[in-house]
Amino acid sequence: MTTKQSIFVIGAGAGFAGDRIEPAVNMARSGTVDAIALECLAERTLIAALRGRQASSDGGYDPRLRRRLRPLLATTGKRCRVLTNLGAANPAAAARAARKLAQETGAGNLRIAAVIGDDVGNRVNDIEWMEPTAGGEWIGAHAYLGIDPMVEALTGGADVVITGRVADSSLFAAAPVHAMTLDAAGLAGALTLGHLLECSGQLSGGNLSEPNQPDLSVAEYARLGYPIGELQADGTAIIRLLDGEPGRLNAAGCTLQLLYEVHDPRAYITPDAVLDFSNIEFEQLGLNRVRMTGARARPRPERLKVIGFLARRGLVADIEIAYAGTGALQRARNAADILRMRLLDDLAPADVRIDLVGVDSVLGAASLPLLAEPPELRVHVSVRCDDAEIAQMVEDEVYTLTISGPAGGGSVRSERRPRIESITGFIARDRVPTRIEWANQ
Amino acid sequence: MMKIGAIATGRSGDKGDVLDLTIVAYDNAAYTRICQTLTVERVAAILAQVAPSPVERYELPKLRALKFVAPRALPGGVQASLHAGLHWQKAAASLLLELELP
Repeated sequence: MTTKQSIFVIGAGAGFAGDRIEPAVNMARSGTVDAIALECLAERTLIAALRGRQASSDGGYDPRLRRRLRPLLATTGKRCRVLTNLGAANPAAAARAARKLAQETGAGNLRIAAVIGDDVGNRVNDIEWMEPTAGGEWIGAHAYLGIDPMVEALTGGADVVITGRVADSSLFAAAPVHAMTLDAAGLAGALTLGHLLECSGQLSGGNLSEPNQPDLSVAEYARLGYPIGELQADGTAIIRLLDGEPGRLNAAGCTLQLLYEVHDPRAYITPDAVLDFSNIEFEQLGLNRVRMTGARARPRPERLKVIGFLARRGLVADIEIAYAGTGALQRARNAADILRMRLLDDLAPADVRIDLVGVDSVLGAASLPLLAEPPELRVHVSVRCDDAEIAQMVEDEVYTLTISGPAGGGSVRSERRPRIESITGFIARDRVPTRIEWANQ
Repeated sequence: MMKIGAIATGRSGDKGDVLDLTIVAYDNAAYTRICQTLTVERVAAILAQVAPSPVERYELPKLRALKFVAPRALPGGVQASLHAGLHWQKAAASLLLELELP
């Protein structure tokens, strides 16, 4: 690295594991983006990855790796780098898989780095947990790493950086921090911009409904452009779309995303700084073009946050039965009451929940009033079960309604899931050493 | 009568046990009105119908935004939930946007 950049263009290529593929491909092909970050790791996906790693030492990363990276690697290089946490529970194996894919696609010269060190599953006793952990079995524990190991990989010449658990804002901030000379305000801007970008389309018009404005059209949602940030060295940024891509970027939408899943907006803790969002302002510069100013930060925290997954005894059984036609609502309500009557003979009320999908399964007692009889609806039963035998009993009780319950019950579906709780903890930084593993060697 | 959703927009999310809701007003007058209407007690009472929890309110006048945080609304996180929606909290902001303004 010789000269430092004065502006860095970072694209939000993905905001969760199942996100669309083509927004990142469009960014890479545009030739106007310096780096693309792909955020692909949530609690749910990390739990799945931990189970995948248990099954095979070559597993444990996002199974979408090939589908997501194949069209990107061909255009990745010195101009556009890729950073992604789809390494999940096994970044080294993911980097090897990416290396193989690069060779297959004629991009075998790419340098692919894995960031190792977030897995603290063998140090759960060094972690101060915020909830009681007794009586459960640890599935895994991962520290949220910051920018440092990603910057190290980029300094070492990485074109593709694959991580496990890193803070989302840090995943997006690492490439600009590496390429620019940033003071504290610049770092605050990089991390705040990263936080804004981490949910991809949710910044550029997705999940947004505004007063006095129609929602985006079906065609616009279907081809939504994902946001790109241009960071300046002073920590201000311009957020925009690729030319011609549909979407909606405005101050209100940016504010929603700035505060999304934030606790104290004056103290948003990342591994690299404690961000203060209270001085941020968004200014509309033009269509789908917004300037962010006012990013501020205090020094990084002493300890790293950890997410731990604890399997509790037993499992959760989810079962549904559908009713349709005249009187469906009453028959469904009766079915729910019959199930309560029978299940509560054996199970504690706190372990049984029955909702009517189509009526009140999302917002419960706060749901909007029912103004007309729904033509069809589903009774949804979720039960915490001590073992598979009880789950079977619950499933059988629902099935039995098809012959011994209200008329016309059918379309029964059932699933079982493990009882896994997410627990937050904190660990001293010196207990979380990191290193880079190069897939090329 | 006018609903909060006529002068503001909102979004809700989760982190572990914590439910969070953001309401953003479109001008300063609207911000004053949502500050008056969406008291901590009112928001806590609305959420209590779905997920009882204490509620904290953060005011962000420069952004014309209110942030509500309900730290105990999602015990064990969404993966442990018996709620049919699992991620029902994504719809929680609508509970506040539906409220009538005085």
